[in-house]
Amino acid sequence: MQGSLDKALSLAVLAGEILLKNGGETKRVEETMEHIARAGGAIQVQSFVIPTGVFLSVFNEKGEARTAMRRIRERTTNLDRIAKVNELSRRLVDGRAEFSSAEALLNRISRERTGFSLLPSMIASGLVAATTTVVMEASIAEDMGAFLAAFAVRYVAHIVSRRHGVQFIFEFLGGMTVALVGVTLHAVFPHMGRDMVIIGGVMPLVPGVAITNAIRDLIGGDLLSSASRMLETACSAAAITMGVLIILAAGGLFYK
Amino acid sequence: MLAFKIIAVFFMSASFGVLLRMPKGLLFYGGLVGVAAWLMMYGVLSISQSMVLAVFVGSIVIGLAAEFLARFLKKPATLFMIPGFIPFVPGGETYNTVRLLVEGRYIEGAAMGVRAALIGSAIAFGVFVSSTVLRLVMDQQNNKE
Repeated sequence: MQGSLDKALSLAVLAGEILLKNGGETKRVEETMEHIARAGGAIQVQSFVIPTGVFLSVFNEKGEARTAMRRIRERTTNLDRIAKVNELSRRLVDGRAEFSSAEALLNRISRERTGFSLLPSMIASGLVAATTTVVMEASIAEDMGAFLAAFAVRYVAHIVSRRHGVQFIFEFLGGMTVALVGVTLHAVFPHMGRDMVIIGGVMPLVPGVAITNAIRDLIGGDLLSSASRMLETACSAAAITMGVLIILAAGGLFYK
Repeated sequence: MLAFKIIAVFFMSASFGVLLRMPKGLLFYGGLVGVAAWLMMYGVLSISQSMVLAVFVGSIVIGLAAEFLARFLKKPATLFMIPGFIPFVPGGETYNTVRLLVEGRYIEGAAMGVRAALIGSAIAFGVFVSSTVLRLVMDQQNNKE
């Protein structure tokens, strides 16, 4: 029985770690860990989750406890992994998945490369920008400019990967890139407005997951997580804004 | 022109899903949520002057659609919410705030910034109030059975 408690603990804390690393909200992480631990034989489960760490204690019927904690340093966005861990946890609770094979499955989820490769993501990024300007009734030249700006941003994102524990540099450089493309295009083709290009170009930089999680955590009562995610959102927005502002101000030196 | 815009909104939502690395099979649903919400906003905007009201009503559609899809497809609701609200993000207002600040027109910039913040709040309250209320109602019904 003791071995089973350890197994439940390690599996649950691994699932929580994967969810938190890939952009899951606090309540989802806590509930998933609790479901998995209970499916593994724990009687009582206590957890404390903040965006930078997971703490989990599990108890068996004799009152013995095991505790684990994981520090989360790298956070990315990968909704595919969240959906997969969610699916696995459902299957474990229903008894449709074997507990013994679950750890290997979780490790595979956390390691496998999901999503699209660089070029399709760059095209998707460009599409987000170009469609934004289409909805705002910009000219076709401006749609293409916005596509180009966002296309370039994705490449910058690829170079300045956020996996090295550096935050907000990507957003700042992304904002600068977009504004630079907009200002340059406007200088070369004067009939092409820089405004629409920049408006469209920054759309892929919107921190959608951080905003959503901040509000979900707030509604769920996880005030500490919510406050830190709101700070993250505000700093991302400020970084994008500063990137665009600096280039616009510098562009003003050369033409009006 | 409206048809073009609807297609554009669909691809905007679906492409943002690609950037978030959504499961590939769900991109279509993300695009649908975006279109449904945007059409609702468009409809409200034709009878009302208030952008904030229109975005709020559109966001209610996102919250409800995301919760229904989450039950139907057994996937987290967040997956459908984020692509859904991307067409509402006040990019134009935010950009104009920055532009006015660069030009030294601070009062106008502040006014535009407040407008962007109000639209942002309308999204947040629309999406999350509707989804939370719907979930409470559904849970209550499940408990009765």
